[in-house]
Amino acid sequence: MTLNSSAARRYTRVALVVLATLLLAACAGDAELDTRSDLAGPEARDIESFMRILLWVTYAVFAFVMAISFEAWRRFRIRGDDYTDDDEWPEQEDENSLLEMLFNTVPALILLIVGGFTIILHMELNSEETNLVTLDVAGSAVEWEPQVVVVGQQWWWEYQYHFGDVDVDQERVETLPNADIVTATQMVIPVGQEIELEITSRDVIHSHWIPSLNGKRDAVPGRQSAPWKIQADEPGVFFGQCTEFCGLSHSRMRMQVVALEPADFQAWVNAQMEGYPLEADDQAYLEALVAGDTPAAENSTQRAINTFRGKCASCHLMENIADDVWSQERVAEQLVAGAAPNLTHFATRTTFAGGIRNVYDPDTGDFNETDLREWLMNPADIKANYAQPANDDDPRMRGMPNLNLTTEEIDDLVGLLKGAGEKPAEFIIEETGVE
Amino acid sequence: MAIIEEPLALEAGEDAVARVERPLGDLTRPQADGSWKDWLFTVDHKKIGIMYGVAAMFFFVIGGAEALLIRIQLATPNGTLLSPEVYNQVFTMHGVTMIFLVIMPLAAAFANYLLPLQIGARDVAFPRMNALSLWIFLFGGIFLNTAWLFGGGADGGWFNYAPNSSVTFSPSNGIDFYALGLQITGIASLVSAINLITTVMNMRPKGMTLMRMPIFTWMNLVVQFLLLFAVPVISIALFQLTFDRLFGSVFFNTEAGADPLLWQHLFWIFGHPEVYILILPSFGIISEVIPTFSRKPIFGYKFMVISGVAIGFMGWGVWAHHMFVSGIGPISVAAFSLSTMFIAVPTGVKILNWLATIWGGRLRFTTAMLFAVGVVSMFTIGGLSGVTHSIAPADTQQTDTYYIVAHFHYVIFGGALLGIFSGFYFWWPKMFGYMLNERIGKWNFWLQIVGFNVTFGPMHILGLQGMSRRIDTYDEDFGFEFWNLVASIGSFIIAAGIAIFFYNIFYSRSQWKKAGMPNPGPDPWDARSLEWMTASPTPEHNFDEDIVVEGPDEFWHRKYGYDENHNVVRIATAEEVAQDGSNTNVHLPSPSYYPIVLAAGLPIIAYGLIFSLWLCIPGAALLIWGMVGWIFEHPDDPNAAHDHHDDHHDDDDPEALETGDDDDDAKELVAASADAGDEN
Amino acid sequence: MSDAVLTPDDVAGHDVAAHDDHGHHETNTGISNNKLAMWLFLSSDCLLFGALISTFLLYRTNISDNTVWEEPADVFDIPFTSLSSFILLMSSLTMVLALSAVNRDDQRNGRIWLLTTAFLGMVFIGGQVYEFTVFREEGLGFGTNTWTSAFFTLTGFHGVHVSVGILLLLGTVFGTRKSGLGKEKGETVELVGLYWHFVDIVWVIIFTVIYLIPIG
Repeated sequence: MTLNSSAARRYTRVALVVLATLLLAACAGDAELDTRSDLAGPEARDIESFMRILLWVTYAVFAFVMAISFEAWRRFRIRGDDYTDDDEWPEQEDENSLLEMLFNTVPALILLIVGGFTIILHMELNSEETNLVTLDVAGSAVEWEPQVVVVGQQWWWEYQYHFGDVDVDQERVETLPNADIVTATQMVIPVGQEIELEITSRDVIHSHWIPSLNGKRDAVPGRQSAPWKIQADEPGVFFGQCTEFCGLSHSRMRMQVVALEPADFQAWVNAQMEGYPLEADDQAYLEALVAGDTPAAENSTQRAINTFRGKCASCHLMENIADDVWSQERVAEQLVAGAAPNLTHFATRTTFAGGIRNVYDPDTGDFNETDLREWLMNPADIKANYAQPANDDDPRMRGMPNLNLTTEEIDDLVGLLKGAGEKPAEFIIEETGVE
Repeated sequence: MAIIEEPLALEAGEDAVARVERPLGDLTRPQADGSWKDWLFTVDHKKIGIMYGVAAMFFFVIGGAEALLIRIQLATPNGTLLSPEVYNQVFTMHGVTMIFLVIMPLAAAFANYLLPLQIGARDVAFPRMNALSLWIFLFGGIFLNTAWLFGGGADGGWFNYAPNSSVTFSPSNGIDFYALGLQITGIASLVSAINLITTVMNMRPKGMTLMRMPIFTWMNLVVQFLLLFAVPVISIALFQLTFDRLFGSVFFNTEAGADPLLWQHLFWIFGHPEVYILILPSFGIISEVIPTFSRKPIFGYKFMVISGVAIGFMGWGVWAHHMFVSGIGPISVAAFSLSTMFIAVPTGVKILNWLATIWGGRLRFTTAMLFAVGVVSMFTIGGLSGVTHSIAPADTQQTDTYYIVAHFHYVIFGGALLGIFSGFYFWWPKMFGYMLNERIGKWNFWLQIVGFNVTFGPMHILGLQGMSRRIDTYDEDFGFEFWNLVASIGSFIIAAGIAIFFYNIFYSRSQWKKAGMPNPGPDPWDARSLEWMTASPTPEHNFDEDIVVEGPDEFWHRKYGYDENHNVVRIATAEEVAQDGSNTNVHLPSPSYYPIVLAAGLPIIAYGLIFSLWLCIPGAALLIWGMVGWIFEHPDDPNAAHDHHDDHHDDDDPEALETGDDDDDAKELVAASADAGDEN
Repeated sequence: MSDAVLTPDDVAGHDVAAHDDHGHHETNTGISNNKLAMWLFLSSDCLLFGALISTFLLYRTNISDNTVWEEPADVFDIPFTSLSSFILLMSSLTMVLALSAVNRDDQRNGRIWLLTTAFLGMVFIGGQVYEFTVFREEGLGFGTNTWTSAFFTLTGFHGVHVSVGILLLLGTVFGTRKSGLGKEKGETVELVGLYWHFVDIVWVIIFTVIYLIPIG
């Protein structure tokens, strides 16, 4: 008897905890990946407003079930443990056609209504609207239908921008022509524009997800996903995380969307169209190298150029510095995915290593040499990867190996990377802060 | 026919006498002698059911330990207990173990034990095939777990999406073990499904029409049909995976133009019915427990049956809701979104009927009842979060986050596992002849349900906060740490609850022994269905005599009737109605060596495929030995050669006894081993 | 186990009872356990082939990346395969004849037709082995492309089913040497026949899907 009533109190408490849990879920905190607060795009907001109503429906149904259970418990329980001699029996009601009809039709009706709205929202989210952005690309005006090719690979994201008359909706990313802009880990978009994402993969299945802008869409190798769109209302940095299990460093495969005002976006495009800027004497040194000479390196940049071309360019492209030694075929021999981040504009981004480390210190705004050094020392220390041949028959790797760089080489390369493009705007650096 | 080794009631007056030696050389079947061999070679559905349960609980401890490792790793940001490599293996093996080696066999344990009893049969249709299923399952499960000893478990997730499962992306042997291990346990499920369907369809006693069967039997019948059709689909997917990994085919090799969605479709065409395979047995269990402890018949029996069957049918049309974000096209997404939503209707009908059963009853909150009511409320949460996933737009935010993890744990733990625990407490006296302690049982229940909600409730929040599934660490600034810590604490409360359950078994047993092993009687709960109409623990032959059934809840109606005011009055005590199990004149099929021999061949062949084809030779030898022995062993106890020379022409031919039925058995083998044969 | 063990006398007495009570006693469905189990197995097998055929349909146009052919029709020998398909179909006829002979208690013809069925099955398997050999010589391996993977797996699974069927047929013929293949074995033969017809019907679908429907 005592057990039952104390059990009852506990049951009540458990149920309250459950209910409170669900209610709390409705107003969860302000984490960077939150699907329900700080939303910045119309798609995410549409989903959220639907979800909010839906959650209240589910709370109501749950409350109904629990209320009946409690009331039944309160009214009908037999106290005490010794019931063996209890010969009292309640009315043996086992059928009621009206009730059964209600049991079937009421849930069906609720679901019919929910289903109707679902389809409306679903179609709206999958509708496309053509909007054109006028951009100045390398001196000529281009009407750009905002599309970004999103390519996942173990364990980072690549974003391609094609401004020419290119059908980006191809099945295999390998068949696409070279993009005008290739960037890694961070996608930059103009605010207020609906951006169509063409999501695909070079190795396994990944999933591209920027919760504050829209839901997720899988990146499937050999397939181009049905169009998926995102739109940001205001400038800002929006975080994402790969959400389809993709192997070892799945949890460290992150990305950000940086939304810029149209003018800033134009500036970003301009900067991305440039190759790596070199001083005149460094440029001369480079040209001598390209010509096949072996001039002695005179400064840190020149040493770095040499190191980069020797050690990094088998996978990474740095335009102007390694165009001649880098080739797609060569990368494909080295890496399972056949791609490594394009480092030409490394310093214009705020994260590296698959979006898990800051390029700039978010507090001071200084270039984050420490983490970069650590990375170059041994990438696997920061991000687990398979920087060894995949198997006996396959010499290709899945991640950046330890190149056994000397301290001096690392210093030089850090300098080179620091000069890879303009530092991004202050607010981007502040808002990034991935650690 | 040798194949039907169903037990027979002897004519009255025939007395059992001492064993008569009728040597048949090597092909003599073993005889029960009370030793451990009885268990190894048994074909008794009750012993087999118990062994399913013991094996599943063993794997449950392993899977639970893996779960605790996961929760320790995630308790704090940047956890370092497990390396990413090991973490991926641990969460994969946790899922595979809990689904295939815990919930499914626990359901099989109850189904094997109870199905024949509930329909009033003496055994299943094919007792040796039943033993075969058990051993294949057990060896398959052990095989799967030995991956840990050979370079690590599978690391591709239980869903094991291609092409991440290819040799390039998962060079260790873990996924080979996954593919072959699940293939083996799949054979067990298939054999068992054929066997149990045949049993229920064909072996009901007089008067036991389909619509008089207990709900538990009904739900399990639906489950066996789901298995029958779902297993071959995953078999093909697993074959393709195995061929890709071991023999160089390119089913999932995207570089050769393969479509990775092929795996997803095949996997989920199996995988979604699988969800109902996991949950329906539990629905069946609580549909027995709730009426018993509410002192009312189940409300809306017909609707309960029909909704179960409807779930079984509709379960085939919803698989692609696992693929809403895989890019299958907006029209398919819309269609599957709607079909998924409407599968909630029959499920809702069930919940409402349970509530209506409780309403107006005389409720006795025993541990079994607490667990059953726990299922109703916890499954409601799981079902409702399921409805939110069926909304495709919402699902694009929720899928592959912890919200999903919360959802399916509410379904599988809150729905299936709590129901199974309800079944433990309910049928324990029937199975083992002693009651589990109720006081400890309530501790067991409250710790389990509190721990469960503390663990998985917060995961709803984590998911909505954007925590991805299958991540081995997370950063502090995501805001995940508080609820992760709570969840990890909760997981240890669950562990404590489970530990108390094990303690309860030993405690109750020792108390029972101390008290001089009192018999709980045939019907300790004043229950309703036929299994309570025989002694506890169930005698070997189940029933002394065939039962003629006149309606649903036959046993209850033999105990109770109605007076003129339609009030329930007792007309007989359970002891008066129940059979006492004293009939020794029932012939039962003899034990057999060959199920375990045949089953033992399969994992050896699988090791051979992975490590060296030479190993396949002894494996195949065992398999063939098992099959040949199976076919040529005497169909039954040589002294009870009652059925196979019905139409025998030359009774004088001594060899005819041995071989006269081989072709019949060959047929049994078709069903039992055509799959095995196909593989090898 | 119950310790109910009988004396030979009891057995003799019991045999009669068993006959009423067991053996061919009616089941709830009216179909014997064995036959029901066979039907269940075959229905399950439908899904097995369903998955294989779906896979093939998905990959049937994916024929690029090899130098052997422009399309599979280039290496197919349709007349040859049609002949072996015809032989397999004929074996269904001989299977029917076998069953009818056994049901007439005509043991001699029953055995002859069963053996003929098995022989025709072996001819079909021989044709399949020959075709596989030709393909391999042409340079089409298991992993050449997704088409070949799907092709070899689908036809291979079917071949294994036919082989199992041949074993069942031979088992029926030679396993009953002593006990005889009388009318009482009718159900046994019928079950083997069910399996055999199923395998044949599946081949008709496979043949259509692989060989007859052109790649558009």
